[in-house]
Amino acid sequence: MPGILDYTHVVKDYTSLWSPRRVRALDDFSLSLERGEIFGFLGPNGAGKTTAIHLALGFMRPSGGSGQMLGRPFGDAKTRARVGFLAENVALYHRPARTLLRFYGTLSGMRPARLRLRCREVLEQIGLEAEADRSVEKLSRGMQQRIGLAQALISDPELLILDEPTSALDPAARAAMRELLLECNRAGKTIFLSSHLLSEIELICHRVGILSRGRLMKLGRTEDLLVSRDRYEIVARGMPAGSIDQVSSDSAPQVRGLNSVPQVRVLPLDTNLGRDGHVQFTVAAASQREALERVWALGGEVLSVNPVRRTLEEVFLELTNHKEAHA
Amino acid sequence: MMSLVLMAANFLRQRRWPVLLLFLWILLTAAIAGDFGRSHTALDDVVFHAQQQAIYICIFSAFLAADALHTERKSRRILLVLAKAVSRGDYLLAVLGGTGMLAVVYAVLSALCSIWLATRTMLPSGPVWELLPLVVAGALISASTAVFLSTFLNPYFATACTLAIFCAPIPFHALRHPAWIWLPGFPMLAQFLQFSFRPDWSPNWMSVGTTLLEALVFWLLASAIFERRDVAVPLE
Repeated sequence: MPGILDYTHVVKDYTSLWSPRRVRALDDFSLSLERGEIFGFLGPNGAGKTTAIHLALGFMRPSGGSGQMLGRPFGDAKTRARVGFLAENVALYHRPARTLLRFYGTLSGMRPARLRLRCREVLEQIGLEAEADRSVEKLSRGMQQRIGLAQALISDPELLILDEPTSALDPAARAAMRELLLECNRAGKTIFLSSHLLSEIELICHRVGILSRGRLMKLGRTEDLLVSRDRYEIVARGMPAGSIDQVSSDSAPQVRGLNSVPQVRVLPLDTNLGRDGHVQFTVAAASQREALERVWALGGEVLSVNPVRRTLEEVFLELTNHKEAHA
Repeated sequence: MMSLVLMAANFLRQRRWPVLLLFLWILLTAAIAGDFGRSHTALDDVVFHAQQQAIYICIFSAFLAADALHTERKSRRILLVLAKAVSRGDYLLAVLGGTGMLAVVYAVLSALCSIWLATRTMLPSGPVWELLPLVVAGALISASTAVFLSTFLNPYFATACTLAIFCAPIPFHALRHPAWIWLPGFPMLAQFLQFSFRPDWSPNWMSVGTTLLEALVFWLLASAIFERRDVAVPLE
């Protein structure tokens, strides 16, 4: 079954008439968005995120491959009435916010009566009713960004495509935007969110795709990406006092017999765990059994074994640095 | 339809200051031609005023239309417009529609000025109203040529090429070679230059129709090319 937004082996090359140089922005890029999800689209600068978004909206044509948005090929004008888009560094006409929303709503084919009602709703949602009659050039950058989001929401779209929506917002506005996106998602909208703010993505996205140099490096559920299956964290207690050497208060202790297990990294003792022979360490999946046996051999008791949880930033850096190193 | 009208109006609103200056220019030239110090205006001045206004709007339309795509792409405002249910063809049609709206207002204003001048010279005002559709058709063909050229040329080149196409026959006009008739805008230009307040002057309605058809063809060609252009690629 086709997704709400599908890229199939899409290639995009930028060429210039005056130069033989060709820049490949997307390389064999395939992705399918599921209806009702919030999808986080990550990648370093120049990875091809904005290019992928612009292809979906028909601002440019792919050099190879194909794509569909809401079941129609990329670039279909009528389909865009069902899509809301917020561009990075939003550029708006210098008109009062309300007039501007009516303008964009009409371009989406909305009827005047519905548009009037929707204008009021959306201005309320973004918290700018008081500024509705002020010209947007007189508003702050953050407010303009919110008006940008309002124009994306005006037609009550099924799919929201947001390119760096929180880049100009202060922390409070960012949190409000996050709430608004979650609310939109609860109302059944699918959200395609491109952002550099990994913490935002980690908080709200169901799935994440990481793009590097035009290639999709990783794709999966956020939870699965954050949980490492190749490294585990083990907490044990009852280790004999003589087996733990604490070199200094901030360094990791040496656990005799355990530090010799391959790929074991003993973590600094947590103040709460540092008594009764508690020890906390991470170990590679391959050495997990050996480490557990060593704890038992020393007379310790294993309290918990959990996959190591990483931050999205760690996953992102690992993947993008890995790719850079191989480039 | 409503979205086209809104985009056309928005196009004009974005260029409101040069448009207002243009309207002031009509009044100024009419005042100069009317020469307030005298009670009577020379026949040649009245004819020249009507002719020059018709040519000015064609030139101004080329400037406005050639710059439209470039300015909107450079400001990136085009992205939010094309992200809505607007096709590239609709977008260009709105640019032409905006130019057409401007041409109608301009033509009516300049016709009123010409009638005022004609009255002072005891000339019939009828031919002025007949000139009006020619002026609008001239502005439209000029704008559509400029829009077409601007889809693949820098706006300065597009304007220069449009004006070159439009004005190329002028030095050769005396030759009255029939081949010029195929050059876009030439039939309108020729009629502007032949305009007079004589009762025997009447516009060639067939050429107005042909000019509008040419404008339509240029719009279709421009839409086909613009459809294939990457609008999100940064300019300069």
